[in-house]
Amino acid sequence: MGKNKFLKRNVGFLFILPWLIGFLVFKLYPFAASLYYSFTDYQLFEGITKYTMENYVDIFTTPKIVKALKVTFQYSFMTVPLKLVAALFIAYILNFKIKGVNFFRTAYYIPSILGGSVAIAVLWKAIFKDDGLLNTLLGFFGVNGPSWLSDPSYALFVICLLRVWQFGSAMVIFLAALKGVPEELYEAASIEGAGKWKQFFSITVPLITPIIFYNLVTQICQAFQEFNGPYIITQGGPRNSTTLISLLIYNSAFKNYEMGMASAMAWVLFIILMVFTVIAFLSQKYWVYYSDEEGR
Amino acid sequence: MKKNQKFIALGLVAAMAMSTVACGNQSSGETPQPETETQTQTPAEPAADTQAEAEPAPEESAAEPAAESDGSYENCTLTISWWGGDSRHEATLAAIDAFKEKYPGIEVEATYGAWSGWEDSMATMFATQTAPDINQVNWNWLEAYSADGSAFLDLNQVSDVLDLSQYDQGALDQCVVAGELQAIPVSMTGRIFYWNKTTFDKAGIGTPTTLEELMAAGETFKTVLGDEYYPLTLGEYDRMILMVYYLESVYGKAWVENGELQYTSEEVQAGLEFIQSLEDAHVIPSIQTITGDGAESLDKNPKWMNGTYAGIFEWDSSASKFNAALEEGQEFIVGDYLPDMGDYQGGFSKVSLGFAISETCAHPKEAAMLLNFLLNEDEGTTIMASERGIPLSTAALANCQAQGLLNETVAEANGKVLAWVDYPLDSQFEAAALKSSDGVYYDVMAGLSYQDYSIEEAAEVLIDGVNEALSK
Amino acid sequence: MATFTKKMDKRNLSMERKRKLSDFVRYLVLIAVGLVMVYPLLWMIGATFKNNVEIFSGIGLIPKNPTLDGYRNAMKSYGGDINIWKAMLNTYSYVLPKVLFTLISATITAYGFGRFKFIGRGALFAILMSTLFLPQVVLNVPQFILFTKLGWVDSKLYLPLIVPTMFATDTYFVFMLVQFMRNIPKELEEAAKIDGCNVVQTLISVIVPMLMPALVSCALFQFMWSSNDFMGPLLYVKTPAKYPAAIFVKLSMDADNGFEWNRVLATSLISIVPSLVIFFLAQDQFVEGIAAGGVKG
Repeated sequence: MGKNKFLKRNVGFLFILPWLIGFLVFKLYPFAASLYYSFTDYQLFEGITKYTMENYVDIFTTPKIVKALKVTFQYSFMTVPLKLVAALFIAYILNFKIKGVNFFRTAYYIPSILGGSVAIAVLWKAIFKDDGLLNTLLGFFGVNGPSWLSDPSYALFVICLLRVWQFGSAMVIFLAALKGVPEELYEAASIEGAGKWKQFFSITVPLITPIIFYNLVTQICQAFQEFNGPYIITQGGPRNSTTLISLLIYNSAFKNYEMGMASAMAWVLFIILMVFTVIAFLSQKYWVYYSDEEGR
Repeated sequence: MKKNQKFIALGLVAAMAMSTVACGNQSSGETPQPETETQTQTPAEPAADTQAEAEPAPEESAAEPAAESDGSYENCTLTISWWGGDSRHEATLAAIDAFKEKYPGIEVEATYGAWSGWEDSMATMFATQTAPDINQVNWNWLEAYSADGSAFLDLNQVSDVLDLSQYDQGALDQCVVAGELQAIPVSMTGRIFYWNKTTFDKAGIGTPTTLEELMAAGETFKTVLGDEYYPLTLGEYDRMILMVYYLESVYGKAWVENGELQYTSEEVQAGLEFIQSLEDAHVIPSIQTITGDGAESLDKNPKWMNGTYAGIFEWDSSASKFNAALEEGQEFIVGDYLPDMGDYQGGFSKVSLGFAISETCAHPKEAAMLLNFLLNEDEGTTIMASERGIPLSTAALANCQAQGLLNETVAEANGKVLAWVDYPLDSQFEAAALKSSDGVYYDVMAGLSYQDYSIEEAAEVLIDGVNEALSK
Repeated sequence: MATFTKKMDKRNLSMERKRKLSDFVRYLVLIAVGLVMVYPLLWMIGATFKNNVEIFSGIGLIPKNPTLDGYRNAMKSYGGDINIWKAMLNTYSYVLPKVLFTLISATITAYGFGRFKFIGRGALFAILMSTLFLPQVVLNVPQFILFTKLGWVDSKLYLPLIVPTMFATDTYFVFMLVQFMRNIPKELEEAAKIDGCNVVQTLISVIVPMLMPALVSCALFQFMWSSNDFMGPLLYVKTPAKYPAAIFVKLSMDADNGFEWNRVLATSLISIVPSLVIFFLAQDQFVEGIAAGGVKG
C-alpha cells in the first residue's frame, strides 16, 4: 500500500518524464559541456591545453566585453518595457469591437514574420541612413537629424526600435489573455461609471497579470539574448556601440573558435538572466494574481 | 545506431508509462506518440548509413576495366561541397555531371550554398570530422582548421593523378601548412584600383596614375563637384590592405615574414599617417560617412552606384560585381598601381580559394581525379570557366582564353595584379581575430577615423593584435 | 434627486460624444501604427519588381521600370535537385511534425508541473525555467557533436530538428501553458473527478479544451519560428535536395560576384506567404475558440 500511495502522490512525475529525458539528453549534456569548457582555453581546432579561471577574469577586465555587457543592459532596459507597453496597448485597442480586426492583427504581426529577413536589413538601413527617410522627414520640420547609423550615441536606439517594432508575438499572447476577461466585469464597471482607462487599470491589468508576467520573463530572456538586430543591421558597430553580448559570444565561438571564452561569456549571461528571473519570480507575490492562489 | 535505439526505447518506456495511467476509453489520445516514434525509427537507418563514409566497393572494382591511361579507379561515392552563387552552382553541377559520364561507377553527391553562414557550418563539420570528401576552402581555412594537418590530406600523395605541374610553385607554397600541401589553389587574387571614369571626366581630370595626382584629385573633387564627392572610398579592411601595399612600396619588405611582423612601431605609424592623410586631403570619406550611407558593402552603396564615390581598391575577382553595380552611363575602368608610392613594387597576391581533400576521405585517388577533371582537364575547365576566378592552372587558363570564356575586365585586372605585386602574404593576415568585423583591423582603422585613437595608440593596438595572432 | 438625473443625462451625452471621439482616435492609432508595420512588406513586394540599382537608391513602393525577372529566376531549379516549391515542401515536412510534437509534449509536461505535487517539483521547475536562459550559440557545438554521434546529421527525416520537440525541449511553450493553466478553475477538474475521470481523462476532456487558445498560439509560434529558423537546418541539412526554404532563399546570394536582389526578395516573399496565410486564418480560431472564462474573475 505504501508503494501505491507513493506512486499516487507522485503521479505528476510521470507527466514530466518525457521532458526530463529530453532535458538530460539534449540540454544537460551540452549545458554541462559548456560549463566545463568555460574553465578551459578550449579552441575548436586546437583542443584544450589548460584549465583556467582566466576566461572569467578576462570578461570583467576586457573593456570590450564590459562594454558589451553594459550595452546589453541598456538595450534590455529600453526594449522590454517599451515592447510590453506597445504590445499591451495595441492588444487592448484591438480587443474592442473593431471593424477589420483580422486585418489589423495580421498587419501587426507582419514584422514578427519578417524576422531577420534580408529585406528588413536593407530597408531599415534605408530609413536610418544619413539621407534616409527619417532624416528627410525631420528635414521638413527644419530639424537636422543625426547620423543614426554611424554615430555611436544613436546606433543602439535604431537596434532597439527594431525590436520594439516586432511586438507581434507578445501582442498575440496579450490578446488571448484579454479575450478571457469576462465581459460582465466591464459592464458592471461601466454602470458604476468607470471610464475605459480606469477599467483598463482596475480590471484588465490585474486579471491578466499572470500573462504580463509570462511576457515579462520571456521578453527579458529574449532581450538579453538578442542577436539578430545588431547582426543584420550594424554588425555591432559603430565603434562597438551596438555589440550586444550575444553577438560577442557568437563571434568568439564561430568566428574565432574560442569555445572556452564563448562558453564563459554565455555562463555570465546565463547567471545575469537567472538573477533577473529570480527577482521577477520573487516579485510575483506583490503584483501577480493567480486564480489558483498558490503563488510561487 | 545503438544509441539511437536506446533512445527510442526510452521514448517508448515514457509513452508506455503514460498509457498505463490512461484509462481505457480515453487512452487513444495518448497513443499517437508511440506510433510516430516507431515510424521514425525504420527510415532512420538508411539515413544514418548515408552519413557514414562510403564503404569501398570491393566486388565491382576489381572487374572494372581501366578507363584512363593513368590507371584504374574504384566505384565509389564522393561528396563535395562549395559555396557561391547561382552561376557557380550551375557550372559546377554541370561539370560534375560530365565527370560522372566520363567515369561511370563514381557517384558524386554535392552540397552547396551561399557564403552567409557557410563557414560556421563547415567549421562544425571539420571539428567533428564529418566534412565531405572534397571541400572548396578559403585560403585561411588551412591555418584555421588544419594547422597541424589533421583535417586535410597532403595532396602530394595523389600527385600522380592530380597534375600539380600546372601550378605556380609560389602559389602552391602558400597552401603548404604543417609541411603538407593541404589544398590546390584555384585562383590568385590581389587588390587593385578601379575608377569610375565618368566622374573623373565630370571633375575635369584624368584618372590618377600617380599618388600625387590622387592626392590632388581630393581637392578638385571637393571644389568642382561638391563636398560629398570623393575620388576613392575605402572601408576598414581596404584601408588595412592599402596600408600594407604602401608600406611594402616604401620600405621594400613583406608585412610579415617567418611568423614575425617586419615593421617597427614608427614605420607602422607612417603607414597609418598615410591613410589618415588620404582622409584629411578629402581623397577618401571617413568611416563615419561610409557607415552613415547605410549600405552593407560598397557595391550596395548608392554613392558608388551613382558615381559620388569614384574609386575603389578591391580584389581583381570582384571587378564584375562593382562594375555591374554602377548605374547606367558610368564608365568603369581598371586602374594602375601608383608608382610614386615608394621605391618598390609593394603589394601581395593571395590564393583566393582552393579545393582540399578531407583526411577522412575513403577514396583519395578518385577524389583527386575529380579535382583534376574540374581544374586541369579541358572538358571540365570549359564548363567551370572563371566561376572561381581567373584559373591559376596553366592548362585551364590556356583553354579558357582560347575559347574566350573569361570576363575581360577581370582578366585585365588579374593580369595587372600578378604582373605588379611580388610580396608573399602571411597566412595569419586573414585570421578572424584580425580580419573579422569585430577584429583588430576594423578596430584600428575605425578607431583612427573616429578619432578614438591617436596614430600612436592605433599603431600600438595594431602591432599588439598582429603579434598575438602570430603567436598562435 | 433631480439634479442627479440631470447630471447623469449630461454625462451620458458627453459620454456618447466621447465614445465617438475615442472610436476615431482608436482607428487613427490603429491605421497609423499599422502602416508602419506593413510598409516593409509592401516595399518588399514592390522591390521584387525592381532592379538592383533601384532597390538601393530609394525606399519608394512603386518600381519605375518593373521587371518580372525576379520571379522568373525564382522559379529556376538547381541541377534539378531543388526549386522553391520543393524547398517549401521540405520546410513543412519538418515544421508540421515539430508543431504537433511540441503541442503534445508541452501539454503533458505543463500538466505535470501545473497540476501535481511530487517530489522535486520545485527544483525541476527551476531547472526547466533555467534552460530558457542559456544562449543557444554555445549549445550548438556540443549538440552538433551529440547528433553526429547519433548519426542524425543530414538525416533524410530531419531527426535533429524534430526529435527534440518530442521531449518538450522548447521550454517557452511549457512555461506559457503552465501560466495559462493556472487560470483554469480547479472546480472543473474536481467536477470531472467526481464524474469518475482519472487524471488522463481530465487532461483530455477538461484541460485541453480550456487550453485551446493557448495551444493555438503555441502552434502558431512554433510554426512561424520553425519556418524561419536558419541556423538549425544550416547545421543539420547537407543535401541540397532536402534544403528547406530558409536555406534555399539564400542559395543565390554570392558575396563574391554580387547577386540579383529581386530574385532573393521574390523567393523570400514566396516563402513567407504560407506563414502569412496561416496566421490570417488561424487567428480567428485563436480568438473565437476561447472557452468562456479562461481567466477567472
